[in-house]
Amino acid sequence: MSTARTTELRTDCSVGTDGRITLRLRLPPAARPRLVLVLRPKKGRPEEASHTLDLEPCGEHGHVRAVLEPRPVLAEGRWDAYLLRGPDAGRERLRPGLRDLRLLVHGGTREVTSPVAVRVPYATKDGFLALRTWRRTAHAEAGPLDIRDGAMTVRAHLHGAELSEGAVVRLRLRGGRGTERVYRPHPAGGGDFSFTVGYRELAEGAAGSQVWDAFLQPAADAPPIRIGRLLDDVADRKGVYVYPRVTVGGAAVRPYYTVDNDLAVEVTAAG
Amino acid sequence: MKISFLIHNAYGIGGTITTTFNLAGALAERHDVEIVSVLRHREHPNLTPHPDVRLRALVDLRREKDHPLHRRPAEVFPSAEYRYHQYSELTDQRIAECLRSTDADVVIGTRPGLNVHLALQAPRHVARVGQEHLTLDNHPPALRTALRRAYRHLDVLTTVTEADAGAYRRKMRLPGVRVEALANSVPDPVLPAADGNAKIVIAAGRLVPVKRYDLIVEAFAHVVAEYPDWQLRIYGKGEEQDRLRARIETLGLWNNVFLMGAATPMEAEWVKGSIGAAASDFEPFGMTIVEAMRCGLPVVSTDCPYGPGEIIRNGEDGRLVPVGDSRAFGAALLDLIRDDERRRRMGRAAVDHARRFAPGPVVARAERLLEEAVAARAGGRRGAPDRGGMHHALLSRGHAARDLAHAAASGALRTVRKGRR
Repeated sequence: MSTARTTELRTDCSVGTDGRITLRLRLPPAARPRLVLVLRPKKGRPEEASHTLDLEPCGEHGHVRAVLEPRPVLAEGRWDAYLLRGPDAGRERLRPGLRDLRLLVHGGTREVTSPVAVRVPYATKDGFLALRTWRRTAHAEAGPLDIRDGAMTVRAHLHGAELSEGAVVRLRLRGGRGTERVYRPHPAGGGDFSFTVGYRELAEGAAGSQVWDAFLQPAADAPPIRIGRLLDDVADRKGVYVYPRVTVGGAAVRPYYTVDNDLAVEVTAAG
Repeated sequence: MKISFLIHNAYGIGGTITTTFNLAGALAERHDVEIVSVLRHREHPNLTPHPDVRLRALVDLRREKDHPLHRRPAEVFPSAEYRYHQYSELTDQRIAECLRSTDADVVIGTRPGLNVHLALQAPRHVARVGQEHLTLDNHPPALRTALRRAYRHLDVLTTVTEADAGAYRRKMRLPGVRVEALANSVPDPVLPAADGNAKIVIAAGRLVPVKRYDLIVEAFAHVVAEYPDWQLRIYGKGEEQDRLRARIETLGLWNNVFLMGAATPMEAEWVKGSIGAAASDFEPFGMTIVEAMRCGLPVVSTDCPYGPGEIIRNGEDGRLVPVGDSRAFGAALLDLIRDDERRRRMGRAAVDHARRFAPGPVVARAERLLEEAVAARAGGRRGAPDRGGMHHALLSRGHAARDLAHAAASGALRTVRKGRR
């Protein structure tokens, strides 16, 4: 990545009704320009996945356009956008222009089928264009969090699976070798459900800072899926959806969204 | 024409920077344009200037922050100016040198302190255009006194509203200076306008006390009580962030009110909403109001001095409500939220009415002002004939005396006003 040059070309993108993403930029005439999405590897690991799109001329003024179709579903992660001006040209990292994501805004209100695939174009912290993707067999989309009287009630909607009799919500202690708390979800019809987590129970015996990750197991024999919030235009939710910190039994408890937009609860023992 | 803009810091964020980049970019289509940034603190500006606009800086803080001359107080830049503490003997010298050696036909200052430099130090053949992005009435008396002395050496003084131009004409005696309102322009939107269906109210700007985002948050509590599926998104960064966060928590609005952080450009964010909100106690212009309107949002704004009332037509393309009244603000939002058809109609009206702030008409006016100023300089004349005669002279002298007395009597007043910015 460090070998890639940076281009000051701004790339506009828009998300269409069918989930198709159109990327558009203005380019001096080039032999066969392409746009490459590269899945950001874990630190110190080599790149493994990339997705190349042709940039076709569109309209006047030297604009070119690439279309990312809804299929194939991309692997979950962060995809950095690069420009290849020609067959032998080096990669140039692209800067974001206007990202028209208005059709994603109320995405939480529509039904999504399995596999749940979400793609949100965003600007990285250092100002480059990237695509945030999620790919999950099923997904529990969190809605409003009602926080009062030392407890939080989460309203959520299950996508891509059925909520059955034996469904349970599990809060798993991160790094806790299987330590978990189990809650019974209350179905509210049509895939809607809610569950309530008493803070005192989580706070008990907390030492230092602990994180509990939230999962839904839709049926007794089904694998647990993450509860998170993925279905709108907010690629990085952590600093935007901020919930109050409540002190219960000598510990501060605060739900939050992880860097992957999954729901977790942080418990910090006082002192 | 060769046109040179002199700006405080082109690398930051704010209305003056945006409007200067916009105007410079539009003028660059037909003229040779540069932007001179007194300060620079980062590699790239937040906004990308038009490719034909040259951008250079006089003091690069990344290297020269500890320059010995930068530790000594400025003498030309007026001490009553809001940004005085960021200026120094070093900026005095560099600005003076920049003006002395300029090859521009016209130099445009973009804030009071820089207008003072321009008025006092520009070479004789260079036309001097001072821009005021703030307002005379809100300047502390000591600053008004400093400006009164310097501004008479300008050719043109532009304000962003008619109301402020009126104040300058009434309260300052500036013989030979043309005082004209020149609104900020907002570029033509690239994206289709908002359709008015999204259940989102949007506010944007620096998170500073005078913008009163706390009032919008409080008003939104009334909205949520009736419409729990509506969101308020506040874009921007600033000192108020933590206080706003606390207010959101106290009011239990964490599911509905979001501090989104800064977004540049805002256009793609505006179109996600269907109502704009602005609650300033004081707003010299109201750039974000025009931006929102051009994107198809009716805007609910406080009717503060001076900008909003010259932008919004109450009840047609937005709503004007009394300053500081969160209940009235909430009621105005609710009026638009309840009535989908009215909201959409006002959004369409907003697009139509806000066209007068498009670069086309604003730039044409600016160009004419600049050309006339350059021609007058070349012909050895100044901008405007003396107006008003004896009556005007006496009136403005009264204001001058009052400002002098105030300035002498209280540095405290200045501190207070400074704190409100």
